[in-house]
Amino acid sequence: MSVPVLKQGDCLIASVQSVLTDADLLQFREDLTQQVGRFRSRGVVIDVSALDVLDSFASRTLRGIAHTVRLRGAQTVVVGIQPEVAFAMVQLGLRLEGVDTAIDLEEGLALLNRRLNGSRSHGH
Amino acid sequence: MSVAHKQVLPIRPDRTPPDARALGDFWKIYDAHYDEITAEATAALADDPEFAVILRAVPREQLEDGQRKSRELMRRAVVDGDLEPYVADLRVQGAAYARMGLSFTGWFRAVGAFRALLTPRLLESYGAKPERLLATVEAMTGFLDRAMAVIGEEYLATKEKLIHQQQDALRELSTPVLQVRDKMLLLPIVGVVDSHRAQQLTEHLLRAISDNRARVVVLDITGVPAVDSRVANHIVQTVEAARLMGARAIVTGLSAEVAQTLVTLGVELGKLNTVGDLQGGLEEADRLLSDRMAFTTHPNGELKLAE
Repeated sequence: MSVPVLKQGDCLIASVQSVLTDADLLQFREDLTQQVGRFRSRGVVIDVSALDVLDSFASRTLRGIAHTVRLRGAQTVVVGIQPEVAFAMVQLGLRLEGVDTAIDLEEGLALLNRRLNGSRSHGH
Repeated sequence: MSVAHKQVLPIRPDRTPPDARALGDFWKIYDAHYDEITAEATAALADDPEFAVILRAVPREQLEDGQRKSRELMRRAVVDGDLEPYVADLRVQGAAYARMGLSFTGWFRAVGAFRALLTPRLLESYGAKPERLLATVEAMTGFLDRAMAVIGEEYLATKEKLIHQQQDALRELSTPVLQVRDKMLLLPIVGVVDSHRAQQLTEHLLRAISDNRARVVVLDITGVPAVDSRVANHIVQTVEAARLMGARAIVTGLSAEVAQTLVTLGVELGKLNTVGDLQGGLEEADRLLSDRMAFTTHPNGELKLAE
């Protein structure tokens, strides 16, 4: 099951619709990293609000995606982690270190905009 | 309902012939004198402070209706051996009176009054045959004891349920999640926090973050007298879970004792954003909300944006 990735301005929006197998996750990482380069995107939002479980491989892969995408010049925000999922992840010690999070797609895009504009105004 | 219900009880008078006959004798006398016994019992209970209130509160027709129904159910139980409806009725009564606040001793007084009214009449009828009298009195006593057991069980179950409801209500009351302004929540925690309550707090808070789309949460623990390592770890986990959902948490009001305990216990609080008091916490929260770069600061694993 592949993850649809939509282009919105200079951001990409990936909406995870159902539980992904490990292979799907790796494919997703591959696709996203490619597309960031192709569309010259500066931000990526990964929406996981449809998921009611995020296991250790999935959260490690998400973190990996965020770091990979960062190296390609874009920032990642993971949005829509459900309350139960969040607490279960913390109990398993899965903390998504270094990955930005937001409550939903709207907030995630707003956060990306703030950061992108902020980094521009800081003259990078 | 509690498990206890399913196990014990059914008032199951032993239906061996002598016992059945004794019960029948008991019923015969009771039924024959039903009106006077009921009238006298009602009069006696009207003098009882507890029952007086209930008798006054219940309309006369309803009372008589209930008595008629009880009489029929009791007849079926004693004469036909059809116990289920009678037991069910007793349970309903037990639960109803427990909710009305009637004490359990009250029940004993009522049954005692009934027994005191019936015994002389049994003596009157069977006085000439002591063995039959004894059997009948025993049958009556056994029957009433079992009835009391049913009532008592239901009474306790109802009271326990009430206590649980109140505990739940108290917990609800003690963990409000307040929206201070758009996207900012305040969770004032007052009183002792045990693991159960800590768990509940977490669920509450995460749910509220999701419902209110909050970005900043202030946890004020000024009102918490003591924090042990489990609760402290729970707070840390809650803060991290909140971050996964995209909200920043600020902990305020750690008292001197709590702070010292936590350091002594070696709880790792480095990841917590703590501010001395609630005022400071709210100011910090405001700052986070207005500062558009506030959300970029993640100490761990932050990579520089390559441009």
